[in-house]
Amino acid sequence: MNYGYMGKWLKVNLSSKEMSDFDFPEDILRKFIGGKGLAVYYLWNYAKELEKKGVDLKEMDALSPDNVLFFSTGPVTGTRSPNSGRHHVMALKSPLTGSIGSGNTGGTWGAKLKFAGYDGIVIEGKSDTPVYLSIIDGKPELHDASEIWGKNTIDTTKWLQSKHERKRAGVSCIGPAGENLVPCAVIMNEIHRAAGRTGLGAIMGSKKLKAIIVDGNAKPQIAKQEEFETKVKEHVEKLKENGVTGEGLPTYGTAVLVNIINQNGLFPTKNWQTGVDKEAENISGETLTEKYLISKHPCWGCVVACGRKTKVELGPYKISFTEGPEYEAIWALGGTTNVNNMGAVIRANHYCDIFGMDPISIGSTIAAAMELNEKGLIPEEDLQGLKVEFGNPDAIVELTWMAAFRQGLGYWIGEGSRKMCEHYGAPELSMSVKGLEMPAYDPRGAKGIGLNYATANRGGCHVTGYTIAAEVLGDVDRFTIEGKAELTKTFQDFTSVVNSSVNCLFLTFALGLDEYAEMIGPVTGWDVTTDELLKTGERITNLERMILNKLGISGKDDTLPKRLLEEKMPEGASEGQIVELEQMKQEYYKLRGWEDGIPTPEKIKELELEI
Amino acid sequence: MKIYVKVFAYLRQKYPHVNDLNPLELDVDENATVEDVIKKLDFKPEEIHLILLNGKKVSKSELLEDNCTISLFPPIGGG
Ligand code: SF4
Repeated sequence: MNYGYMGKWLKVNLSSKEMSDFDFPEDILRKFIGGKGLAVYYLWNYAKELEKKGVDLKEMDALSPDNVLFFSTGPVTGTRSPNSGRHHVMALKSPLTGSIGSGNTGGTWGAKLKFAGYDGIVIEGKSDTPVYLSIIDGKPELHDASEIWGKNTIDTTKWLQSKHERKRAGVSCIGPAGENLVPCAVIMNEIHRAAGRTGLGAIMGSKKLKAIIVDGNAKPQIAKQEEFETKVKEHVEKLKENGVTGEGLPTYGTAVLVNIINQNGLFPTKNWQTGVDKEAENISGETLTEKYLISKHPCWGCVVACGRKTKVELGPYKISFTEGPEYEAIWALGGTTNVNNMGAVIRANHYCDIFGMDPISIGSTIAAAMELNEKGLIPEEDLQGLKVEFGNPDAIVELTWMAAFRQGLGYWIGEGSRKMCEHYGAPELSMSVKGLEMPAYDPRGAKGIGLNYATANRGGCHVTGYTIAAEVLGDVDRFTIEGKAELTKTFQDFTSVVNSSVNCLFLTFALGLDEYAEMIGPVTGWDVTTDELLKTGERITNLERMILNKLGISGKDDTLPKRLLEEKMPEGASEGQIVELEQMKQEYYKLRGWEDGIPTPEKIKELELEI
Repeated sequence: MKIYVKVFAYLRQKYPHVNDLNPLELDVDENATVEDVIKKLDFKPEEIHLILLNGKKVSKSELLEDNCTISLFPPIGGG
């Protein structure tokens, strides 16, 4: 057995109801680590098998039984290394984008899967009737889920914990949105944590898998215990001393970014028509803390605790308890829609959590609907009397639940902005890349994040390569395009290591590659260097890209919405800027060893990816 | 000359009512720098991580202009 791992992955075929254990050889574990890396390795081989069977991957329906889900932890997950309660979920194809499906999530579920005795779970096929999977103390079982089909994530979680008499068991599940095959649906765990992007919840719904409950007392073995304990202590110390992880995130949560991003003029507002929200203060982290916060809530093993327990005491959006919202959710539901009403944002975010949807895609698509309506492109009968207008708090609350249940205009909100804007005849109003709605930073105000959005494998995503840490929160010139190709590549490859370890990306505000080598080394017993890790990150990014190429995605898709390339930022601290993407992109391809978004045979050989 | 100051995150513990919608109005000398303002507001230099002058990232030695707005941030991050 390899240290750090439980040494067992579970494969479940929901069509035949067969279950079997499997493992990976040590050289593969070292080359792909775990989490995202190992899932990408599995998906690559799975895609080749499908091709052999004659499946056309470009045409394959993401909701067909041929699609596959991989729930994946890494060697660091569930150890005493800080913030290691996380896991990664991947799918061969996203129903929202047609690109790869991918989401990383906190909570406790990742750690508890390992305590239940497994490193990961592969879900293939499709059940005819609703089922859920339990893994308790190393024993996997499939059960009838008809009693919880239709329930929201709170009721589902509580029902399962009570049924199995395990109050603290980890529960990953879908809500009604996943069951209704909404392309913006997510997989939630611990009710308020989401594998939140690319529509993974709809895939789970298509397989009629309602939930996975995990619990147990097993623990991963550490190769060099003493060295590991010393490093854990040092890393915790560094996290406590760092201003971001020791004070900013614990006190204000991620929403502390609202003001700083807005002051820099890159807070996308009114569907990205501007980067300045004049009333962003009302939805800021400071306001959330002052008026809505109950307490902090960490994920398993976390020493930072950016999570928020919140409430709305008064008014139409009153709610006695919920969690969040995170920065991205606040921006999508309340910033780009120009709603600036924290109560409404908290209520809409709560609906996303309990019905199981991605607030970034839902909020962004609502903002796109508001602009479509502003331009008179949505027929009266589709609006059904609802005022789909920038600044209307009722619109975000109503449209969010309507999306989960596919009601009226909500049908199109749930489909995501690309399909909705095509339907209403203005595809250019979808602020998405590869069909995934971009998050809360206008790249006209930070050019590197624009290159990252354009090239990120899963589409418009900030956490693939969070260059904002350097460009806005650090010392790098945010407007220059010089050096941004290298910055983006380094951030992306390092993040692949984090998501394969698996622990929390926020650690990287205080811990660098050296510290990652200091974690992975003693846990696994491998003598890893920072060079090896960065190469591993590069290998994972490239193999993921090779899967994209099989799905028909290449250089033509590595682009940004026209608005960002051609319309100058009209006002504020980023006034006059556009994104000069082409030059950065060509430099990035050269650095990556890609031609037109496709890894060259030389690069594939160098990374030992001739597999 | 007159300048406006906005403070964010835990810098507000000292100035709870100063925010984006309600900046602090200050009178400063002609040759005042950002550093002078930081001192005047009784912040320790290490508390201030990022300074924007009319939205542009500047250092502590930057000279102020009449009617300018300075935004002061401690170390913060998220995502
Ligand atoms: S920092 Fe936040 S997201 Fe990361 S592990 Fe802690 S609570 Fe979870």
